[in-house]
Amino acid sequence: MTDHRIILLCVIPLVAGLVSIALINRKMLSRLVGILSYTLMLGLSLSLVLKITAAPDSESVLVSQMGGWTAPFGISIVFDSLSGLLICAAATVGLGAYIHSFSVINPRTERRYFHPLMQFLMFGVNLSFLTGDLFNLFVAFEIMLMASYALLTIGGSRQQLAQAYKYILLNVLASTIFLMAAGMVYGMFGTLNIADLARIVAEHEAANKELPAGFKSLAVMFLLVFGLKGAFFPLWFWLPDTYYTVPISIAGLFGGLLTKVGVYTVARLFPLIFASDGTSIIQADGTMLGGTSPIIQTILIVAAAFTMFLAVLGAVSQHHVRRILSVHVISQVGYMVFGIAVMTGNALAGCAFYMIQHMVVKCALFLCCGVMEKHAGTDDLDKLGGLLKRDWKLGVLFFIAAMSLVGLPPLSGFFGKMVIIREGFLEGQWYLGVIGLVTGAITLLSMLKIWSYGYWNPAQAPTANKPEAVKTSCKSAYGAIALLVGCALFLGLGAEPIYKVAFRAGEQLENPQHYITAVLGDEAYAKVDQLIEERILAESAEPASAGGSANTSTSGSPITMIQPEQEVHP
Amino acid sequence: MTMILAITVAVTFAVSIYLMLGRELKGVAMGVFLLSHAANLTILAMSGSPVLSEPVETSSEGSAPVQMTSVDSPLMKDPPILATQYTNDQPLAQMVDPLPQALILTAIVISFGVMAFLLTLLVVTNRKTDTIEIDDLAKENG
Repeated sequence: MTDHRIILLCVIPLVAGLVSIALINRKMLSRLVGILSYTLMLGLSLSLVLKITAAPDSESVLVSQMGGWTAPFGISIVFDSLSGLLICAAATVGLGAYIHSFSVINPRTERRYFHPLMQFLMFGVNLSFLTGDLFNLFVAFEIMLMASYALLTIGGSRQQLAQAYKYILLNVLASTIFLMAAGMVYGMFGTLNIADLARIVAEHEAANKELPAGFKSLAVMFLLVFGLKGAFFPLWFWLPDTYYTVPISIAGLFGGLLTKVGVYTVARLFPLIFASDGTSIIQADGTMLGGTSPIIQTILIVAAAFTMFLAVLGAVSQHHVRRILSVHVISQVGYMVFGIAVMTGNALAGCAFYMIQHMVVKCALFLCCGVMEKHAGTDDLDKLGGLLKRDWKLGVLFFIAAMSLVGLPPLSGFFGKMVIIREGFLEGQWYLGVIGLVTGAITLLSMLKIWSYGYWNPAQAPTANKPEAVKTSCKSAYGAIALLVGCALFLGLGAEPIYKVAFRAGEQLENPQHYITAVLGDEAYAKVDQLIEERILAESAEPASAGGSANTSTSGSPITMIQPEQEVHP
Repeated sequence: MTMILAITVAVTFAVSIYLMLGRELKGVAMGVFLLSHAANLTILAMSGSPVLSEPVETSSEGSAPVQMTSVDSPLMKDPPILATQYTNDQPLAQMVDPLPQALILTAIVISFGVMAFLLTLLVVTNRKTDTIEIDDLAKENG
């Protein structure tokens, strides 16, 4: 369904960013513009999500064709349940990190185009969530990366500069591979539109026709690129050092947002397009179940297992709060990859839910870490202590966020992990499920480490600032943390309505029909339907003539006789 | 022609990776610049442009003004947006698909931006730390 309001989600941060360049010396005004922009984005995305949740399946994908060009030729902006959820979460996280920065950021840093960069980062992130075009996705990534390069080096301390080169070079390399892969997709299929690609793949599946040679290597190239952005094993080495050096509010925003963009693109492109092997099974009710390429699925499974487990071990071995949190980002990405690797609609729904809750919770933890640093002047656990006595409110907020991350039952992390791990067991990936559970236990250990050293430890650490001084100077930081922790509590206690949206997102990823028809028009899927019908007819005719007298008893319904060509989930 | 292009891409990639693995950041920046060139040439080679590959016999008289790929012809030989009115005077086989060129143009602009940022960062690094050697940066950092 066409709805041109969705492009506003990109226009708002862009305009706000441009305006705040002009207001660079007016601190309060540019802060106001920033808050206004985040609030508008949040409100608009929430209202759109409510709209598509209430709509029937056929109208649940909102599309806006840029410049009025028909779909495969222009750029489509697509807003479905998955993008909707992620944009809501991104706007919340952005708002939280932005408000938090008012009380912790260095005034000199703030004047160095901090406000515009925060907006441009959101522009890139929102565009990556919304775009329905592979090349446009590359452009969105570049916008986001340019803003993140600049935010990474903002202030320009020696440590930041040394780390920045690693981050920039890796991302430039990844972008180059992405660019080439996009060019190759165009060379192979003559289109870059994601819906159009999904249509071509679905037609191949329906006809049980092999995809062109080189399709798998393209898939691996894309996986490499998005794996690097999303910090999958073994491409995660850049992350801990990078997040360690930036100002804490920015670390919170990066930790919440940037890796999720990589995971989102994998969730968007792989079940729909690149994990396909061109085969399919016609189910009893006449719907098609696409086959999964065993190689790609194996890569995803291995990546998920190692990302979860090795990263959490890394987190336990760290002794700085920031480093523990940064390494944990990677470990949690493992759960999301787990959800994608299972590749059923429910697992993808769990992945979507886990992504949004992780964005909120992880950002809240980083922001708590910022206030802890204000109290003690350091994030070294050996030098922290007695924070609970000094600032019990922060303790409560941190505890809720930490337990949400671990996934204790009434809190949000539980519901995400539960669905993903349950699907893993149901679909025969029990080893991933076991690793997920063990990782959860070790996550608890490392969170309790921060809790017991930093908060419960009775020894009063040397203070950098008096508790009262911190409490008055960090008012906005407390507000931001409370906002995010409130959202996390809501995600946990009100998981059911959120999951309704998430399950729909999972369905849309598993069965691309509505996505394709929304973008390309109703007739685009006709060929797939026709091919499926032809196959049902052909396959029902075949055994009836060949089987002869041996199995006349089973020839009652043509559909029940169809044998699956291949196991879908090896 | 495609072969020459492929060799050029390979050599450019090799040189750029070699430069990026160096210890001096100036060389690294040059490597980044070359990398984007290699990628752009790859797109040019991959785009199935009729100038580069063998001419393709087309049978598009009276076909729809807009061709869409489908399961029957998964590999694109013709540019997807070509109106029928061109087919008589200028055969499709001699026309260049404009889209890869648009992609390359966008990519050039983006890589230009990244390059500008990287060079600025080099200047700032040199000013702040008096060195643009990776080893020196890492040492004083630790």
